Amino acid sequence: MQVYLMVARQAFRRSATYRAAYISGMITNTFFGAMLCYVFLAVYGSRSSMADYSVNDTITYLWVAQAMISIGGAWVTADLSRAIRSGDVAVELMRPWNYYFFWLSQQLGERAFNLILRGIITYSLGVMLFAARLPALADLPGFLVALAFAVLISTALNFLWNASAFWFLDNQGVVTIGSVLTMFFSGFLVPLAFFPPWLATIAQILPFRAITSIPIEAFLGKLRGAELLLALGVQLFWVVLLTLAALLLMRRAMHKLIIQGG
Amino acid sequence: MVSLYLRMIGARVRAQLQYRVSFLLDLFGFMLLTWIEFASLVVLLNRFEGIAGWHVPEVAILYGFSSIAFGLAEMFGRGFERIEELIQRGGFDSLLTRPLGSFFQVLTSEFQLRRLGRVLQGSLILGYAFANLPITWNPARLLIIPVTILSGGVIFTTLLMIGATITFWTIRTPEVINIFTSGGYQLSSYPLHIFQEWMRNLFLMIIPVAFSSYPAALFLLGRQDPHGLPSALAWFAPLAAVLFFGAGYLFWRIGVSKYTSTGT
Repeated sequence: MQVYLMVARQAFRRSATYRAAYISGMITNTFFGAMLCYVFLAVYGSRSSMADYSVNDTITYLWVAQAMISIGGAWVTADLSRAIRSGDVAVELMRPWNYYFFWLSQQLGERAFNLILRGIITYSLGVMLFAARLPALADLPGFLVALAFAVLISTALNFLWNASAFWFLDNQGVVTIGSVLTMFFSGFLVPLAFFPPWLATIAQILPFRAITSIPIEAFLGKLRGAELLLALGVQLFWVVLLTLAALLLMRRAMHKLIIQGG
Repeated sequence: MVSLYLRMIGARVRAQLQYRVSFLLDLFGFMLLTWIEFASLVVLLNRFEGIAGWHVPEVAILYGFSSIAFGLAEMFGRGFERIEELIQRGGFDSLLTRPLGSFFQVLTSEFQLRRLGRVLQGSLILGYAFANLPITWNPARLLIIPVTILSGGVIFTTLLMIGATITFWTIRTPEVINIFTSGGYQLSSYPLHIFQEWMRNLFLMIIPVAFSSYPAALFLLGRQDPHGLPSALAWFAPLAAVLFFGAGYLFWRIGVSKYTSTGT
């Protein structure tokens, strides 16, 4: 356990050293936040509300989504696939620990850093520029728990998509498919509240909404009491299921693994 | 030069077809991506009954144009996205020793056949838009289509080139460039007039990606821009493209001449 904590702490510190990278990332998130705000202000037009989302709800939604981007609501990163393809993964696999938990700790450290620094600054800009609102104090605990579950779900899914590289060396297509499904069904591109009913039903069944949609709904105070508990229960279900799937898939991959020489 | 280009591209295409399953999965993933992009636009416009008076068929013109242009740039200019790897691993050094310009070699270092999917999808959506809109066709309106697509393609390719050039200084491709490539692409799928003045000016006059769709859509639809942008602006797209490419190429030359190897 202590080893994993250390790995996470190191990943956190390493992220902090790439200053140009996170500043550049923040500018990008702010630009996209602003652009999407203009789009949604234009579609609302003279309306004040749509599907129980006021203009301010939607603007807040967009900025929280941008601020949370580092937890993986918008795309699947392919670093792990590259490590598998190049054979770099072999070194890590030989070490006396569970590779999945090692990789997970690294991811958590990195994402925690980005979430705290990039997230808070990006979101504050949304508050200043577009009057995105602060969460009610009573909604904060629910949001933070949902956020923690969201990170675990997104990392487990990320591992699953990337692990396809153990089977196909060129798995770019699989990673793209994963990114597209995540981006759309998590509610990152368009809030799920605006989906037509049949599409919303599909989104309800899939795990992706647990990454973006559930935490933001908790943030906005749209999930409270029993509804909040139910949503957190759904998230917990996905955390357990997807983590088990990742562990299982890794064991299968071990039997299959051939390291490319080089 | 052209036959050499075709030979090099031909080799890339054959290489991609070697791994059939990977290629098909890749193609499928990429098609899914482009259709989901359009689907989210449709979901939004259906729910809110249009955007500032533009409905799905009108917005489809914008999306179609920018999608084709961006698709062409991604197909031909993808080599520029490999520059990060080339610089970090020292591959750019060996490229400089060869008897061909570095610009040409980087351009031909990658050609992505699967990006043809975006061009095809954009064309289908443009076709759908034209079939569902009462456009009175005349020679000028027909001519504006290829003019806009080619100009847009050049503008987006130049953007990829500029992103690559910045890497000569930063070693890592900065995330900010996404503002102009995928941000510019997304922005040109919406009617430009909904954005604030600074954003409109930025994407018309400095990074002219808005030329890839909006003025041509005004011209085809015979619409007025609420901020008084003339629809004849559509004819200035080639000029914007040429100027932008010229500036971008100059920047590339400066980048190459300032290039210092990472030593690996």
